[in-house]
Formats: sequence, C-alpha cells, structure tokens
Amino acid sequence: MAVSDEKRGPWYLRMVVHAILATGALFFLMPLVWMIATSLKPLSETMKYPESASDVFLGAGHRAAIDGRRYEVVLEREIKPAPDKPFYVVRPKETFSAGELWLTFGPETWKKFAVFNLQELGQMDTPVTPEMKVLADDKNRFDPAAGTLTLSSGRKIPAELVRRVTPAADGSALWVVREWLAADTDMREVGSTDREVTRAWDVLPMSQIAKTRRVIPQNYPIALARTGFVRCLVNTLFLCIMTVGGAVISSVLVGYGFAFLEFKGRGVLFAVTVATMMIPFAITMIPVYLLYRDLGWVGSFKPLWVTSWFGSAFFIFLLRQFFLGLPKDLLDAARIDGCTELEILWHVVVPLSRPAIAMVALFTFLGTWKDFMGPLIYLNHPSQFTLSLSLQAFYTEHGGTPWHLLMAASTVFSLPLIILFFATMKTFIRGIAMTGIKG
Amino acid sequence: MANLRGHVTGYAFILPWLVALALFIGYPFIAGFYFSFCDFPPLKSPAFIGLDNYAELAHDAKFHRSLGVTLVYAAVAIPLGVVLAITLAMFLNARIRGQSFYRVIFYIPHLVPTVVVAILWLWIFNPEFGLLNIVLAGLMNAADRWTHLFFGLGAETPGEAWLRPEALALLAAPMLAAVTIWPLVPAVLKRRPALKRFLAAVAVVALVLGAVALLNAALHGLMPVDIKTLHSPGWLADGNPLPSAIPFAPSWALWALIVMSMWGVGQMAVIYLAKLQDVPVELYEASDIDGANWLQKTWQITVPMISPVILFNVVMSIIGTFQVFAEPYIMTGGGPEDKTRFVAMFVYDQAFQYQRVGYASAVAWVLFLMIVALTILAFRISQKRVYYAGR
Repeated sequence: MAVSDEKRGPWYLRMVVHAILATGALFFLMPLVWMIATSLKPLSETMKYPESASDVFLGAGHRAAIDGRRYEVVLEREIKPAPDKPFYVVRPKETFSAGELWLTFGPETWKKFAVFNLQELGQMDTPVTPEMKVLADDKNRFDPAAGTLTLSSGRKIPAELVRRVTPAADGSALWVVREWLAADTDMREVGSTDREVTRAWDVLPMSQIAKTRRVIPQNYPIALARTGFVRCLVNTLFLCIMTVGGAVISSVLVGYGFAFLEFKGRGVLFAVTVATMMIPFAITMIPVYLLYRDLGWVGSFKPLWVTSWFGSAFFIFLLRQFFLGLPKDLLDAARIDGCTELEILWHVVVPLSRPAIAMVALFTFLGTWKDFMGPLIYLNHPSQFTLSLSLQAFYTEHGGTPWHLLMAASTVFSLPLIILFFATMKTFIRGIAMTGIKG
Repeated sequence: MANLRGHVTGYAFILPWLVALALFIGYPFIAGFYFSFCDFPPLKSPAFIGLDNYAELAHDAKFHRSLGVTLVYAAVAIPLGVVLAITLAMFLNARIRGQSFYRVIFYIPHLVPTVVVAILWLWIFNPEFGLLNIVLAGLMNAADRWTHLFFGLGAETPGEAWLRPEALALLAAPMLAAVTIWPLVPAVLKRRPALKRFLAAVAVVALVLGAVALLNAALHGLMPVDIKTLHSPGWLADGNPLPSAIPFAPSWALWALIVMSMWGVGQMAVIYLAKLQDVPVELYEASDIDGANWLQKTWQITVPMISPVILFNVVMSIIGTFQVFAEPYIMTGGGPEDKTRFVAMFVYDQAFQYQRVGYASAVAWVLFLMIVALTILAFRISQKRVYYAGR
C-alpha cells in the first residue's frame, strides 16, 4: 500500500511515533529477553548484582591463574587493605582452630568477611576445615628467611603453604575470590552435594583476573529432565487435541443451529447463551467439581476435556456471527438440491468458514495449553501433570532458587505458542479483530 | 409436519449445548445457590442451615480484606489498562512503516502461559537480583546524571534530596515554557513553517527534559531510600501501601501485580486497533475542514466511535478481576498479610483447602451478585456516552 507522505503526516511526527513505539516495544520484550538470558546463565550469575549493563543479559565469568593452573573464580568481594602492609594467604592443607585466626587488619568489611566464612561453614568453635584458606595478619610471625609462618598459638606453617600478598602502593583494590575447579560446575543440579568445587579462597589483584562470558545451554536438558518435560508435553498435547476437537465439532454444530435453523425458543436460548458468558468460573467451579467427584473422575483427564465436547458460549457466539455473514443464497441452493442440513454444513458452510473455525481451534489450543486452575483442581498425581502444573510444582519444590532452570523450562514451555502464533498470524489477527466485534 | 421436523433438527444441532447448559451451567448455578444455604462437610450430604453462611461472611474480616484487595486492584488496573491499551492502539494506528511488526511485538506477551508469566515476573520482581530493581536503579542514576548535566542541580551521587522548592521551580520552568509555547505555535506562526518547526522542536526538547527531571523527582519522592542499597523495593514481599498517605492505596505487592497485568495490555490494544481501523476516514476529513485539532478529534470522534468496545472490555475486565487466581496463588500465596489474597483465591481456599463447600458457595454467590451489580452500573454510566452506529 503506497501512502503518500502527506497522508503519513510530517516526518518529525512520524519519528516521534516511531520512538515511542520502539521504546514501548523494548519494554514489552525485555521480560522475555531476560527470561532467555537467565536461562543461559550459570546459577552463580543469576544470584548476583550485575557489574555492568551487559551483565544483566549475559552471564559473566571470571578466570584467574593460581599456582599456574587456570581456575574459574567467583568474585566474592572487593577489599582495600592498607598499602604496603603485607599479609599472608595460607594454602588449604592445614587445620586451624578458630582462635588462631587473627583477621583484624584492614577495613571493617574484612573482619566481617572472615566471620562470614566461618559462619558459613558452621564452624565458629570447631576446627576450620582444611579447604578453607586462612588470611593471616601481622600478629602472626613470618620468618622471611625460612618462609614459615608462626601462628599466635605457636604452630608453624611450612613455607610451601604460605603466600605473601603485598597490596599495591597506590592502595588499589584486591578481590577475594572463591575458586571453582570445573568451568561447568554450575550445570550440576541444585542441592546436590557432589559438586566439583574447591571451596577455597584467595586474594588476587584485578589485573590477574580475566572476565569471560559464560553461556550455559546445558541448563536446558537439565531443566527439561527435572520438570519431566516429555511426559508433561504428552499430557498437555493429549488434552489440547481432545479439547480442540471437542470445541470445534460442538461449536460448529451448535453455531450452525443458532444461525440457520428455525426452531421454537431459538432467540431465548441464544440470549441465555450470550448471558452465560458473564458467569465467572468461580461460581460454577465447586458444584462441577462435586459432579465430577461423584462420577469418580477426579484424578483423571476427563474433567479437563469432556466439557469442551458440549460447546462453549463464546465460540458458539463467534461462529454464529460468522455464519450469518455467509451468502444465504448458497445455502438455499444446496437445500433446493436436496442436501440435508449436515451435508450443507459439511459441504457449504465449513469450507467457507475455515478462518473462523481455525480461530476456534487456535484459541482452544491456547486456552488448554495455558490452563492452570483446571489441572490444579482435578489432577493430583505428578505422572498426569500438564506443563503448567509441573512448572509450578518445580517452582514450589525449590522455593525459587534455581532461576536458571526455571527460566529454561519457561522458555521451552512458551516457545510452541509463540511459534504457533507466527505460523498462523493471519488467522490470529483476524480472530482478535473478530472478538472485538461485539458491542 | 415439516415444521415439526425443522424444530427437531434444530434441537438436534444444539443438543450438546443444551446438555452443557443444563449440566455445566444451570445445575451448578442452582446447586451452588442451594449449597450456599447449607453446611456441607466433605463426604457428607449438605444440611440446610439457612442464612448462617451469609451471616458469617458479613463478619469475616478475612473475606472483607480479600474483597477490598480485589476492588482496589480493579479500581486501579482496569482504568489504567483501558487508557494504556487505547493509547497504544492509537500509536499502532498511526500510518508508519513497520506497523504490523510493532503490533506483533505488543501482542506476544499475551501468548506466554499464565504460569510462565507468574514465575517470570517473580524473578523480575526479585528484590535483590530482579530485572525491575536493576533497571530502576539504572534509570534513577541516569536521570540523576541528566538533571545534573542539564540543570546543574543536585549532586552527582544518587539519592540527593530532589524535592527542595528551588529545584522543583527550576524543573517546572521548562515544562511551563513548553506548555505556553505549544498553543502559540499554530496560531502565530501559521505562515512561517521553518520557525514553527523550530519552536515545536524547542518545546519538545523542553518538555522531555522537564519530564525526565520531574520523573526523577517523583521517583526519589516515592523511594524512601537509595534504590541500590539493600532497601530497594521488596515488591511482592512488601505489604506497605504506596503512596502511604492515601487511604486504600494498593500495597507494593498489589502494585507489582498491576504492573505485571499491564504487560498483557497489548491484547486489548489489538482489539481497540481493529475497531479504530473501522472508524470512517470521512469523519476525520470533515473535522479537518472544520479546523479541529488532534485532541478534539480524539475526544469527539475516536473515543465515541470505539466506546462500545471500551464498554465491552471494561465489563469483561470486571468479570476477569473476580477470577484472578493463578498469579497470586503462584507468586505470593496471598501474602504478605493477605494483601494479595484475591476473592477467587479466597473461594478456592475455602472450598479445597478448608473443605467448606457451603461457605465457599455463599462467597461465590455474593461475588456473582457484585459482578451483576457492577456490570449494570457500567451499562448505566455508559448509556449516555456509548455511541452505537446505526442506532
């Protein structure tokens, strides 16, 4: 469609409209981008305040060489020790008692850091595990010639376990880091104890630490396995097929009846049908539940699809409106030719109403795929769970910690609908316009 | 006889729907009404107890709280949603390139399943690491830097007191200037397009700058402390009202749910857009001849022409609000302190957690009556304002 410049309006107004729409689109897409971004991050990166704007959407990792070996390190916190005041990092092979740790130099946060680590290990009073590196201060005696460190308790730490750290003269910051042996440690499941992690600590200048980007596609298979994706997908697809079939067949039949057949009480019944759209689910939910319970159907799929085979007010209304717009001459011609009503429906009305019927199918599919309350009420065994229910169960089970897995599962779970939308966009847009017809 | 056969055929076609009407709508409707007068413990038959359930719910503080939450949510979210959706639809209706692209973008959130929406936004609202607090902190810092740059006000560090009177006066000045310049632009400079364009650009820049500064001031006024510290908004975990001075103000948690519901506004916007495209162009052309400005065209033509859809959407939104369940159920469990326990969740709790079917039915019926009342009210209010073409 060629629209002249005059009709489009002046260029600066068009620019303003573009700017506003683009900003809005950015904000509307941001949650989805964030969802996908989180799904590709390692867990440690989700639970961290981003250092820069790019960190918001891209998982950052840090690598550092310690003793000639490359480690994946996690930056714990920044410290600013007094310049030219050396301190010692002790290799994690000795066991120390809490009283031997004198971490009193430097700023206040430094002290807190030490206490924090001890509390984290739950060993304030008991000997500290050898995995823990100890930062010793000048209350401990260091023998430069032998390279040994004598703790205040009198114990000697051999030279190969002691490293002297000298803060830079300009007082620039050092980073306390946690080391991780394997780069893919975070892929392991949350809560499992067999992580290949050296829970060790060290202090390094920023110049020794290199920033890397970490993209972890392995989150996806783990998330899908944890949510029982395949079985839930089969359950959901089964329900979708049953409800789409039921809704299409029953709504087409009933819509045809209301549109073209003359019978007593048609007007009243149609008015009632439209009025029932006003009744919220919460009103009928309880007695319908009791009805299905008495039939012994609670805990099976039946309550979730049987209802759709009896038609739904909204789709009946939509189809009837659409049918009334069809050329009546065609129907009359078919009737004169001796066709039965079912034949007219099948050979004349259905072929002409494909867009409307496709819309009913699409909207039913969407509704069933997205449904949460129905499965929540009627299904009680995990083997029957739909995707919605299993995602919610996975969230409840872990109390919202493994955000990377939750977002990966969410992405996979939403993707089919978005693909379906793009594949059927024409039907969709027309359908949305039709739902707005009423008024 | 042919006539009788016609009736039979007709009824045969609508038979499934008649069964549904009777079994899934009529029966539950009446049965629910009956249960609401009964004590109905699990695995026993209902026992008639008269109006006891209704008497109880008249004194049930928890029910009143959840009703209050629902009504406050409806009072904020529905008007906000309508205004946002119509505004968005008007922008989408502008004759620009990429219109269908934008339409798709804004519609996509509606395709995301409810559970995913709930869990995704739980993550976005995470007080420590969530996207919203990160973006808010970034925006506030950026706004601080802007206002500092353009007005030389305040300190470069965020969290400075912005509501000092002299600062406000300076912020308001460019906005006032813009508002003053704007109407003069067409009136005085009709014959000098270059100057007109220049003045319009100045007005736009002033307006934008003023808006940024004012938004910044508002943000600082709302946020009691620096957002980047540990005291950043707790959103779903925060039951305190915002703004705290106004009675019945939604809690932070409820605001979070309102913000989240605005994400789905694109679906309504597309419906409005379809209606906007049906508005006859002749009406606008006629108004152009009469010399109507943009605002007059919006109020006198656009809004009346789409008013039936507005009414339809408002009524459906009222009904929808009384059904809000999955989001609070997954995201907050009704908390903090019942500040997000919507009525649908209250009914669910009574029926399925506490197994009090009779009481739950009574609550459901009260809700139904309220919906009917609100719907009638919506129709009454709109009777003089809604324009139906051809009537």
